Amino acid sequence: MSVIATITGAALTRFDHRRDGSSFRDWAGDAFEAALAMSGLDRDEIGALVVASESDFFTFQLNPATVIAGDLGLTGVSALRVEGGGASGQLAVHAGARIVATGQARHVAVVGVDPSASTLPGSTVKMLYGMSFDQWSDGMTGTTSTALYALSVQSFLARTGIGVWALDAVTMANRANACANPGAHLPRRHGAAEIASSPMIAAPYRRLHCSPLSDGAAALILSYPGAVPEARRGAAGIVGTGAATDKFHLGARADLGRFAAKTLAMQRACAIAAITPSDVGLAEVYDAYAGAQLQALEALGLSEQIGADLEAGRFAPSGALPVNLSGGLLGQGAPVGATGVGQTATCALALEGRYHAGLQPRELPRYALADTHGGVCTTAAVTLLQAGAEA
Amino acid sequence: MIRREVSLSYELAPGWLAPHVDGLLQGRAVARGCGTCGRVSFPPERHCGCAAPAPHWITLEGWAEVVFRTDGLDGSFALVSFAGSSTKSVVRLVLDSATGRFGTLVAPTDGQPALLLALNGKGASDDTH
Repeated sequence: MSVIATITGAALTRFDHRRDGSSFRDWAGDAFEAALAMSGLDRDEIGALVVASESDFFTFQLNPATVIAGDLGLTGVSALRVEGGGASGQLAVHAGARIVATGQARHVAVVGVDPSASTLPGSTVKMLYGMSFDQWSDGMTGTTSTALYALSVQSFLARTGIGVWALDAVTMANRANACANPGAHLPRRHGAAEIASSPMIAAPYRRLHCSPLSDGAAALILSYPGAVPEARRGAAGIVGTGAATDKFHLGARADLGRFAAKTLAMQRACAIAAITPSDVGLAEVYDAYAGAQLQALEALGLSEQIGADLEAGRFAPSGALPVNLSGGLLGQGAPVGATGVGQTATCALALEGRYHAGLQPRELPRYALADTHGGVCTTAAVTLLQAGAEA
Repeated sequence: MIRREVSLSYELAPGWLAPHVDGLLQGRAVARGCGTCGRVSFPPERHCGCAAPAPHWITLEGWAEVVFRTDGLDGSFALVSFAGSSTKSVVRLVLDSATGRFGTLVAPTDGQPALLLALNGKGASDDTH
């Protein structure tokens, strides 16, 4: 397979609820500067900017890409903003990779950012997230994201026979991973009793099964493989991207517990990369809710016996297929536009052996997967990365 | 901090979904039917998948069976199967404490269209449908 774009720079700010007077523009700048420094490139070598931000309701800023371009000292470059619900960040990575692949720019900055925690009350954000669903059908009911995910995971659990215990297991595992991630929003060591006593939001989902609303940013510098600075030769590269959509109405799907769009996206990415899901040795998957991680593992073809693999520790940091080393959305947090960019940055850093001590796999995997979706997997986007990818 | 407040009032046109939306306001389940493949969708799908040129509107009986239900602080919602529909629907249960597997679509009391289901308290064994 050939490298679509080399990841010469990758950085994340911490994800949390900012109360320090900083704004999303500060976080975007911090992430970009760190990624640019890692790349070894000069600012004027960046030819395009892709910004991921889910909603102007959060930022109170239309056309944020141009504003951020100015803040980053990139005025004059081509700038665009990508939005695809929860998948915004990963779709921005895809857009950046396409810009490199088509030769429109040799080096592209991808910046994901959202102030999902600090600018609006949580109840308002919950209402806005309800607008992620068809306002002429599912959205009319006043349904919430949690309620729709709850209905979907009930179907998944019923079909697979996996018990609700698995929701607790994912929650505990991801938040435990977050304890070794200094940039994580919710580093916690939960017990099952603590989870069981947290409020029921939409059965079977209790509050602790849900990812938090977070602030933060992440950035990548994507480079044409033939233009990678000498010091960054051997950096990880993007070798496959795939995206797909599913029926907007949950009830119109043949199996509402199956993330069919994710399967399609993964197949498309694997076809480009010329690998199979079994080649993936590290994965950051979209766990907006604990059960969504299980549904993702199934849809991505990463496990045929999810419950048994979970119990056996296959997805643990020391397991054969570490999943959500970062803590995922549940532990690291979820500033929506930054999520997919941050997942890809995490994979790139881990493939280079530069991820956080205590989480960095001792044996570097060859391939890693970053998986993101929007809605109840209404829009899916996955990216495959290869370690030390050469052009 | 910089404080900004916005109050937005939208006027959303129902567009091609007008028969469906009008039906909801009256407590009627108006679905989309395909004369070619026979698929009936509720909520309506503009394209059924077989690319038939002229889907038509069908009024369903309006009763539905609960397939999955979720309750909690967010309210009570269910995925239900309306009689006569090929697709399932997400509805809000109007009486959170009501039980039973079957219910009927009801008109909203606030004049705003919504998929609302009133459970009739009957289970599978005692339901007449």
